[in-house]
Amino acid sequence: MKISKILIGLVLFMWGIPCIMAGEINEGDVSLWSSGTAYLLPKDRLEFGIFQPAAYGLSESLELSTYVLPNILMPNLSVKWKHSAIAGYDWATRHSFYYPTPLLRTVSKKGIGGLISPEFTMPHMVAFHNEILVSKRFDPRLLVTAKAGLTFAYTSEDLDERTTIDLPLIFPRLAVFYNTYNFRMGIDLQGLIVRRWHYVVDSDIFLVPKAEENFAFEHKGLIIWRKSTRFQMCLGYKLVYAEYPFGTQWHLLLPLFDFQWARQF
Amino acid sequence: MTSFKNPRFMIIVWLVVSITWLRCEPWVEQFEEIGDAVIYTAEQKSAPPSTVETITVMTWNIRFGAGRIPWFGDSCGDRVILTKDEVFTHLQGIANKINEIQPDVLIINEIDIESKRSAYIDQMQWLLDHTYFNYGAFASVWKVQFIPSDGLGRMNMGNAVLSRWPILEAIRIPLPQRGDQDELTKYFYLRRNILKVKIDLPNVPNFYAVNVHTSAFAKDDTKMKHIDIFKAELDELHEAGAYFVAGGDLNTLPPGATKTYFCLEDRCFGEDVNEMEGCDFTKEVTWLQDLYDTYQSAVPLDEYLTNEERYFTNTSHWDGFWQKKLDYLFTNYQWIAGSDSTHQEATDWSDHTPISVRWGVPE
Repeated sequence: MKISKILIGLVLFMWGIPCIMAGEINEGDVSLWSSGTAYLLPKDRLEFGIFQPAAYGLSESLELSTYVLPNILMPNLSVKWKHSAIAGYDWATRHSFYYPTPLLRTVSKKGIGGLISPEFTMPHMVAFHNEILVSKRFDPRLLVTAKAGLTFAYTSEDLDERTTIDLPLIFPRLAVFYNTYNFRMGIDLQGLIVRRWHYVVDSDIFLVPKAEENFAFEHKGLIIWRKSTRFQMCLGYKLVYAEYPFGTQWHLLLPLFDFQWARQF
Repeated sequence: MTSFKNPRFMIIVWLVVSITWLRCEPWVEQFEEIGDAVIYTAEQKSAPPSTVETITVMTWNIRFGAGRIPWFGDSCGDRVILTKDEVFTHLQGIANKINEIQPDVLIINEIDIESKRSAYIDQMQWLLDHTYFNYGAFASVWKVQFIPSDGLGRMNMGNAVLSRWPILEAIRIPLPQRGDQDELTKYFYLRRNILKVKIDLPNVPNFYAVNVHTSAFAKDDTKMKHIDIFKAELDELHEAGAYFVAGGDLNTLPPGATKTYFCLEDRCFGEDVNEMEGCDFTKEVTWLQDLYDTYQSAVPLDEYLTNEERYFTNTSHWDGFWQKKLDYLFTNYQWIAGSDSTHQEATDWSDHTPISVRWGVPE
């Protein structure tokens, strides 16, 4: 892997630092709106958004989450499991599965909406993703989460290489089905900017050791307006650099937005 | 005063740097203005002749290396994405034919450089590296990051000119888009062009090769506009004292062609004849008359009309023989009489045949 690819993550990370250090003290409860961290939702709290997964605090140590609408064509479920803190670091593991076959068969069609050629039949395929999340508040102004994960995939038949969907976000996530396993790691930073304004900055790297196109980098920046513990909205961007079958390409995806609600049962 | 401790300032800086750091590419390249074509060079150059009395010119629509595969878009087929082996096999066949005919200037239509359907093979570079040509110019006709239809995905197809001699200038001149499509289809559809290439031909200081691929399926007057603009470009070169060889796939029959209606025989299973495009040339048979009247055709019209089948260059059937003439070469100087060949023996490498002819270099 080229050093420049690693530098991409570092450069953007460095740009985020001054912004974060300029923030004010985040006195909020870290377990609320905590999907990217090692923290779990309080028991019986439900958070859901338009694009973000719906998450539910099942107990003090277990949290379930799923992308609700995609479930119709891509059943998916995640379980976040809290572990004991070690040396002041909070730990959790997240275990997920997704079954994209119905979705891929739907987009393998003639005419508009055909993302995959109808000459191919997509086999049954399922992926299991397991990751470790480690969070720490080094300072009340800075909550950092590091994560690393491994995904395994099973397909009922070998996939034809020509069925790839060579688009940002999608190609790196489906690459595991062509290559059995991949690694994903990243870092999330979040905190308070001022009053009700918060930020989230993250960077993720996908590595697919068996593939020719084996690297993807994603970076997200969000500004969040948190009305209360029950509603927030966010606006931001996503920057993607990835290797595709045709070469490498940058994409800036704008705007990224979501509305999220929460309810305590 | 703006400060690094001001979070809003830092967020704006951070956003601006992130955004400007990108090499943003449009989802669909619009090509609204006249612009430069992309220049290619062979990995290993071979010395071109320094003096020439005649040169051989050829035009070939190579169908993006799909050979005679029943592709969904043009031959009632169900294939969309070709394998690398399929594309390389067809490209090798095309290169073999080029190496056999030995044109000095080659006008190419439907050449892919970065398309999912043709396994992302850069066919420009591949052909340069597997023939004796040294230079190439490429002008995209269809450049889309992702076409969300039929699994087509990424597409970059275009017109090209290959030359033994250096290319001094290569201009892409946009042609109007079809006027008979809805806005969404039009947005993702082809942007046809004229590729005008100035070649450093020994002792001919003002020599151009001009490539065009006019609309194939428009039911309105788009194709006529393309032909008119092409003719106007040639007139401009002629009036400027330049010499040109020009042509390509004009998707039009010669004036006087006996058969002009192909819809019944081209119809796919279950297809409504009234919905078909690009199969009824009845109203178009005079559209090339002006070109024939003004410039010299590689295949003179009277010769064509005496034996039409001998000069057919295209078929819509993946398993059929040539059924009509769509490909042309014109010049404002002179072709060597009787030197033209319509290579109908090249049946396996495209749905078009190449046409070659020798051009007498002005003294």
